Amino acid sequence: MTQDQIAVFLGSSLRLSMPLILAGTGELVSERAGVLNMSLEGMMLTATFAGALGSWATGRPAVGLVCGVAAALLLALVQAALSVTLRANQLVVGIGFNILALGGTTFLYREIFGPLSREIIPGFVIWHVPLLSDLPILGVALFRQVGLVYVGLAVVVIIWAMLEHTAFGLAIRAVGEDPRAADQAGIPVALVRYIGVFVAGAMAGLAGVFISVGDIHTFTEGMTNGQGYLALAAVIFGGWIGWRTLAACLLFGTATALQFQLPAMGIEIPTAGLMMLPYVLALLAVGGLVGRLRPPAALTIPYERGK
Amino acid sequence: VRVKLPAPVVIPVTATAAGLVLGAALVAATGASLGGAVAGFWDGMFGSTFAVGASINRAVALTLVGLGFILANRANLTNVGGEGQLAVGGIASTAVALHGADRLPLGLAVIAPLVVAGLAGALWGGISGLLKVKRGTNEVISTLLLTFIGLLMVYWSVQSEDLLRQPVTSASTLPESLELSARTRLPTILADPSSPLHIGVFIAGVAAVGVGLVLAKSAFGVRLRAVGLNELASRRAGIRDGRLVITVLAVAGALGGAAGAIMIQGELWVLKAGFTSGYGFDGLVVGLLARGSAAGVVAGALLFGFLRSGGLTMEITAGVPAAVVVVIQGLIIVAIAGSAILVKSQDAR
Repeated sequence: MTQDQIAVFLGSSLRLSMPLILAGTGELVSERAGVLNMSLEGMMLTATFAGALGSWATGRPAVGLVCGVAAALLLALVQAALSVTLRANQLVVGIGFNILALGGTTFLYREIFGPLSREIIPGFVIWHVPLLSDLPILGVALFRQVGLVYVGLAVVVIIWAMLEHTAFGLAIRAVGEDPRAADQAGIPVALVRYIGVFVAGAMAGLAGVFISVGDIHTFTEGMTNGQGYLALAAVIFGGWIGWRTLAACLLFGTATALQFQLPAMGIEIPTAGLMMLPYVLALLAVGGLVGRLRPPAALTIPYERGK
Repeated sequence: VRVKLPAPVVIPVTATAAGLVLGAALVAATGASLGGAVAGFWDGMFGSTFAVGASINRAVALTLVGLGFILANRANLTNVGGEGQLAVGGIASTAVALHGADRLPLGLAVIAPLVVAGLAGALWGGISGLLKVKRGTNEVISTLLLTFIGLLMVYWSVQSEDLLRQPVTSASTLPESLELSARTRLPTILADPSSPLHIGVFIAGVAAVGVGLVLAKSAFGVRLRAVGLNELASRRAGIRDGRLVITVLAVAGALGGAAGAIMIQGELWVLKAGFTSGYGFDGLVVGLLARGSAAGVVAGALLFGFLRSGGLTMEITAGVPAAVVVVIQGLIIVAIAGSAILVKSQDAR
């Protein structure tokens, strides 16, 4: 591999990891509060579409960003109302949302853009970070990305700090481990869980917008193509810990980048194996075969006072 | 006389009706003729012997996956791995049908691939059971992850000639398996050659009755419920809950695996990436809607089977995206999940 190839490879690894990092970090917060959003895929897909639509209609990618995040938040609100207030099965609601999002975005896309359109939409432009972008290898790899990459990474760090070092973070973790004790200590369990789901929704929204407006500059049907599930797997493989989830997302993103890189270098490998790798790793991890991982004790269990 | 309908019937019926009304509103919003759309929809469901047969064949796969779901769910286990179990079943069925089964006598050409597919599905479900019992792994997470692994295994199988891909003779050779020979295909039932209805419908019927009886009448069904209600108490009562968990997840997987074989041997005749096309997730939903009733699974499977067929024809004849049907399905699922609290509070009274 030449220096240029290495730089491009590292750059595309980061770019392909980004949706996972954003969605995975948001989902981490929600899961630490005890709510599993199987609907992550649906939230992301909705945001890719709403983001693309907003950007296309106004010609301004920033409007697309707002539209995408708002649409994902709307889904998050319904997800939270159903799974926290109405104590519905979180997995079922999530699967329902994913089906709904796939159907809804496909339907609207065909109605608005027509069946075969590959309309190019206005997207974020790549930002050359002053000075740093001129570094050898790393300049191309890390410092010539869309601004959303840097903003997103900053948000991720803020979320970690919030989760591990603030009173509110402690409340989130308490609600996810033992909601009864948290309730007795005066923590508003339902409110904290709502906020957890909102964080997941907002971050999934950013992830979706990153895909359509930030990276590909168009929308295609079913565009997220399982990345929401991949982000869920990353949270599992990361053992519900911030930095490990980030590492898992980078690993999964790199595996995706390798699928494109290796054939380009004339190396024949079964790409299916690379695509499967994240799920196999997550299964091994959650099966306790590599490291000991423990999900939040109250994950997926609705809380009802006095029961 | 006032008949009080139980919530488990009222809620799905109301949700389905509401979903259909919203679907009609969506169709109207596109500016397409509602009459034309409904006519196309009806045609796709009941318009011809082909339509009816294809719809029932769809329902067969959904029924088997749904039955597996309610069986495991009786023990309070949530098997979301139907899609992956279909996938490994399809791979096993294709592999056996193409490599040897063809020459077997006495209908074994059909049966052998089906049985091996069931075993493959059982393995897939059993892994989750084993992880649950030995390592305490949440079965939701493991069945979901195994689903993606299974789906990618299908993709892998048809990418490589060393596995199941047909010999590549030109650049346009599709990444699919060879076509199954006539002897390994499921026999059709009706004399009418336009009807694709195959004997899978009998398999699903037998399975539905069997699962219904097991849940209602057998000691196994009672043990499942005991484990589902209170693991500790049932263990004290001498039920070997670990073995039970593994068994029931394996049986659920076997039903899914067999359904995968039925899809391949019944109508598709080749293995290709994505052949499961969401039937595993739909089957899971059917199982949920049924609230533990085998008859409910059959009803839900028929509903979704016919809805899908109707939607596809509607897209072709009336130009309304079949995605409308997907939206309707999603709405039904969310509505029913959201109203589960009504059933719970009624039970408590």
